[in-house]
Amino acid sequence: MVAETPRDRQNLLGDCVHCGFCLPTCPTYVLWGEEMDSPRGRIHLMAQREEGAPLAPMVQHFDQCLGCMACVTACPSGVQYDRLIETTRAEVEDEHPRPLRERVLREAVFRLFPYRRRLRAVRGPLRLYQRSGLPALVRRSGVLERISPTLAAMERLAPPLGPAPRLPERVAARGGRRATVGMLTGCVQGEFFPGVNAATARVLALEGCDVVIPRDQGCCGALSLHSGRAEEAAAFARATIETFESVDVVVVNAAGCGSSMKEYADVLADDPAWARRAAAVAAKTRDFAEFVDELGPRAERHPVPATVAYHDACHLSHAQRIRSQPRRLLAGIPELTVREIADPDVCCGSAGTYNLFQPEAAAQLGDRKAGTVRATGAELLVAANPGCSLQIATALRRQGTDIAVAHTAQVLDASLRGLGRAALL
Amino acid sequence: MDALDALAGACADVRPAEPEEGVLGVAPRYVAAPATVEEASALLRAAAGHGLAMVARGGETRLDWGPPPTRCDLLVDTRRLDRIVEHAAGDLVATAEAGVPLDDLNAALGAHGQRLALDGPPGSTVGGTVAAGAAGPLRLRYGTPRDLVIGLTIVRADGTVARSGGKVVKNVAGYDLGRLFAGSFGTLGLIVSATFRLHPLPPARAFVSQTYGSAAEAYDAVHAVLHSQADAAAIECATAPGAGHRVDVLLEGVAEALPARSDRVASLIGGTVAEQAPDGWGAYPDGSALIETSVPPASLKDLLTGPHAATAALTWSASGHGWAALPAGTPPERVAEVLAALRSIGGAVVRFAPEDVRAAVDVWGPVPALALMRRVKDQFDPEHRLSPGRFAGGI
Amino acid sequence: MSTSLDRLAARCAALLGPDAVIGDPVRLRTYECDGLTTHRAAPGLVVLPESADQVAAVVRACAAEGVPYVARGSGTGLSGGALPRTDGVLIVTSRMRRILEIDIPNQRAVVEPGVINLDVSKAVRPHGYYFAPDPSSQQICSVGGNVAENSGGAHCLKYGFTAHHVTACEVVTPDGEIVKLGEGPGYDLLGVFVGAEGTLGITTKITVRLTRVPETVRTLLAAFDSIESGGTAVSAIIGAGVVPAAIEMMDALAIEAAEAAVGCGYPAGAGAVLIVELDGPDGEVAHQFDQVERLCRDAGAFEVRVAADDAERALIWTGRKSAFAAVGRISPAYLVQDGVIPRTALPGVLARIDALSAASGVRVANVFHAGDGNLHPLVLFDDAEEGAAERAEEVSGAILDLCVEHGGSITGEHGVGVDKARYMPRMFTAEDLDTMQMVRCGFDPTGLCNPGKVFPTPRLCGEVPGVRKGPHPLVAEGKAELF
Repeated sequence: MVAETPRDRQNLLGDCVHCGFCLPTCPTYVLWGEEMDSPRGRIHLMAQREEGAPLAPMVQHFDQCLGCMACVTACPSGVQYDRLIETTRAEVEDEHPRPLRERVLREAVFRLFPYRRRLRAVRGPLRLYQRSGLPALVRRSGVLERISPTLAAMERLAPPLGPAPRLPERVAARGGRRATVGMLTGCVQGEFFPGVNAATARVLALEGCDVVIPRDQGCCGALSLHSGRAEEAAAFARATIETFESVDVVVVNAAGCGSSMKEYADVLADDPAWARRAAAVAAKTRDFAEFVDELGPRAERHPVPATVAYHDACHLSHAQRIRSQPRRLLAGIPELTVREIADPDVCCGSAGTYNLFQPEAAAQLGDRKAGTVRATGAELLVAANPGCSLQIATALRRQGTDIAVAHTAQVLDASLRGLGRAALL
Repeated sequence: MDALDALAGACADVRPAEPEEGVLGVAPRYVAAPATVEEASALLRAAAGHGLAMVARGGETRLDWGPPPTRCDLLVDTRRLDRIVEHAAGDLVATAEAGVPLDDLNAALGAHGQRLALDGPPGSTVGGTVAAGAAGPLRLRYGTPRDLVIGLTIVRADGTVARSGGKVVKNVAGYDLGRLFAGSFGTLGLIVSATFRLHPLPPARAFVSQTYGSAAEAYDAVHAVLHSQADAAAIECATAPGAGHRVDVLLEGVAEALPARSDRVASLIGGTVAEQAPDGWGAYPDGSALIETSVPPASLKDLLTGPHAATAALTWSASGHGWAALPAGTPPERVAEVLAALRSIGGAVVRFAPEDVRAAVDVWGPVPALALMRRVKDQFDPEHRLSPGRFAGGI
Repeated sequence: MSTSLDRLAARCAALLGPDAVIGDPVRLRTYECDGLTTHRAAPGLVVLPESADQVAAVVRACAAEGVPYVARGSGTGLSGGALPRTDGVLIVTSRMRRILEIDIPNQRAVVEPGVINLDVSKAVRPHGYYFAPDPSSQQICSVGGNVAENSGGAHCLKYGFTAHHVTACEVVTPDGEIVKLGEGPGYDLLGVFVGAEGTLGITTKITVRLTRVPETVRTLLAAFDSIESGGTAVSAIIGAGVVPAAIEMMDALAIEAAEAAVGCGYPAGAGAVLIVELDGPDGEVAHQFDQVERLCRDAGAFEVRVAADDAERALIWTGRKSAFAAVGRISPAYLVQDGVIPRTALPGVLARIDALSAASGVRVANVFHAGDGNLHPLVLFDDAEEGAAERAEEVSGAILDLCVEHGGSITGEHGVGVDKARYMPRMFTAEDLDTMQMVRCGFDPTGLCNPGKVFPTPRLCGEVPGVRKGPHPLVAEGKAELF
């Protein structure tokens, strides 16, 4: 994490001219219409904090920030809210004693999600549970809600699990090789959406890439980084850097992971031994859509006659500013109709761990997003982040609509392999 | 000092009133015609000193509108306030004193290719037009005096001269008294000069007209144009008992584009194109009682076919504003029925009517926020000496 | 003993529910300013009503306690019009954001005051309509705020201001009544309410006029060596009888800032750029657009770029729209001024501003709505440097003097608020201001509704109308100052 001098921080805070352009894109402001739960208001709180105001009444508002960074996109003055909220979260973690129950849950989440082996360990029991008929009973009883809304959210959000095929360590390019790329498989993506990784590898190979998938890769550190756990994030980052240093390009298909890897230079800026290496890996990190779009189409696109709604994952559109590339990729598929979702800038409420720690707000945002998705009349929802897909599908189910979800990579995969719409719906 | 001497000391042109100068039968004692703002101020101060009630008179085109004043000691004739104070052509603004006839003002502006886009009936003065909030068919595009006055100078009941706005179009400094005074019929103060936003005179204009047998066709034609890209400057609809439903559309713009535009509208409504305004364009419908109506476009069919349509000659602008005129001899009960029918679909205010009719009907209809209006009136004219009783709610 | 604010807090929590009341000092401070941060005052209490009845109940409760209150929408105003009172209640309308009705046949929509300006246009756009007032904050400012400020925007040259596009308002008056303005006969109270900066009551429902989306919009960017030749082009365009939808001008320093912020790619070396936009029927626009292009070249434009599509049009506007915020990239701090001059006085006034800048060493970037003479000089300074803010303030004030001297106004669209109340006497006489305040006395005799805004000195409503003899009682008591 970049150490900030007080003057730095004053300057960062001073960049905000209080114009309010961030308000309409801030999910919590959209929900509650309160200044303290807007980027402008949170920056105001941070400034008050600098003047010595107590932290306790502010924590709730910092916690309620989804970190979607829509405000960063909207800000005409270039306020670096991303940096401000990250340091603020770290401060909160350092200085603010959380109640026991909250502490236990947070620890549980941070000890589970960033570790694939642990995630894998819960897959089995979860699959059994899902097949048992218990979920309906549990949801009806509300027992989890009473124990912990976070646990209840986890239960609701868990995707239906199928078998998780293991990916080979190397997939060879089809046709002439155009590039050699490393692929980050991601923790949640890898364990809960294995089909996405398989599709990603296939598309890259079909487009002429040798794909290297290091087996010993760990968590990129995104969850920790976006929750103020700076040291933990740095440790994950170092390990990930070591894993991928040798490839030309690191392709990441989970928006949250991609955005945190692109931030590695900042994460390790103060570590002289690692700063340069971090910057190098950050510079060669590409989102899947960004990379495939850059590469240009070579494999033949077969028709996929379907109507899809494309959802901008915040960590793709705001954090990585990737909006046109996935749309271009989808537009390049014959007979595929792409519908835009209203208010695309407003987060779906997934936001990393947000739907676990702020389940109520997350559910409200999920409902809003589900409503706008439904209004498109699309039969398939395409998003580039596993959290978003889970979140929106859950909200749609609550509204009594089942919609198929897919990653951009899966849609392309279906097109490149000529599988048609059946593979997706 | 008696009142006449006091008035004469304040204003050079003061005389006893002639009997025929009565306002709806209420004869004033004096008539004064100030020639400057200072004179007007001194005059009103003198009138205040003697507790005189006053009514302002301009071109007398609408002096018979509204109920008679409950009292009237002094008639203030504004016609000597007749200077066009400034025409800043490059800034598209002009300032004129209250007594300048609108036609004269527009003739002067026209020489520079500009106009004040208020096209009421001829003869009205600047002050009277603002006081009555009057506008003709162009109101669809350009609005009414409230939308075009950018600065106003008034003399308060106590003689204080006050100004609001200024001579720039874009200005949000202070309350906009121009909008408050527009349509206040002289009950808040004497308007002595007004500054207007001007518009360039269009190089060319064309009228597209058609008369329809049914109200439904007229309604369709009006809505077709209103919701199209025709960009009409005016859309008027008129009918009278036993007559068809006439729709007239005014298009203004560059000569190069106008033929194509008017052809488009003509084919849209099955109308014919003419360069000259049709007969009666912008005139009030004929009758011995005149009712100002507000009926929104979606209710046009109801306006054209309601129970009132059997008696009233109607004109209506797509701005939602119109007129209904009743023939001489319409009994008060019938007038009341017409008003009730109109009020069931919008608003209706009797502007003028024979005395027996006026006495028998509710001239104004419902007046929302009347209590607030009275409080504003009490601030400006605590002694109720300005056109007392002539305004909504008896103000 | 409980204070009146404590009692109000409890009362409001009972009326509106505890979630709608903010009383914690840390949270309250986030409401201490609107878009103008130079004036700050944390409110005594914040309430977030969701209905007109709730607003009326709060207003009545305030009236009963004699506590002042201020309404606030999105908090984007630039004159401190929504500056709270430390001893009062801030009534925030951000939860009153329903679009209640869209009536296309009548070209109207009815919205709650917290509805965002741009959201009205978004909602009616599928029907081919939009809401014409487009202040540069349109993506966040509320329609209620637009009503209070009579907001304009870049396109008000042709389409007018909020006052021209609001046909009725439901209003909570300072005595807590809910009344409808703009309907029926009588005084045009709506006309004076719009633009009264929230001093006459709080609007709770607004009927807006919808405008047909024009058939064609065409935009060009013309680059000139100097502001003077840009000004010549503006005069020529207006003189030719063209009423563009917008004419915007930026000087070299403003261009530099915009370039630094958004890389808008305006022609290099331009001393001024002019953005001209025409809209309307195809043929009409095509003809006048050629004319405008020619007039720009005749006036000395060394480059004219015509937007070929929406993307290029957006690019042209990006530089202009980002200019305010962009100035932050070339200066640590700045003041945005908002003055108006008759269009024809433009070259002279700009030369005087240059001279002011040169004499004081304070840099001034100019961005303006050239079509209606609305100047937005951005006065740059370094807030870390001692005395710099004061010098900037001085230059900023001198610019307003220039505007008044040329027959203009101290504010074209930002409003007077708390920021410019002291400048009002430069533009209006004591009698003018007294007369305006008679309206306020009619609406709000106790002066609890957004006090301290617009007017430098409150009028005591019990006074017999007339010109004061001797000092105002508040001035005599040392409670107010006459500037």
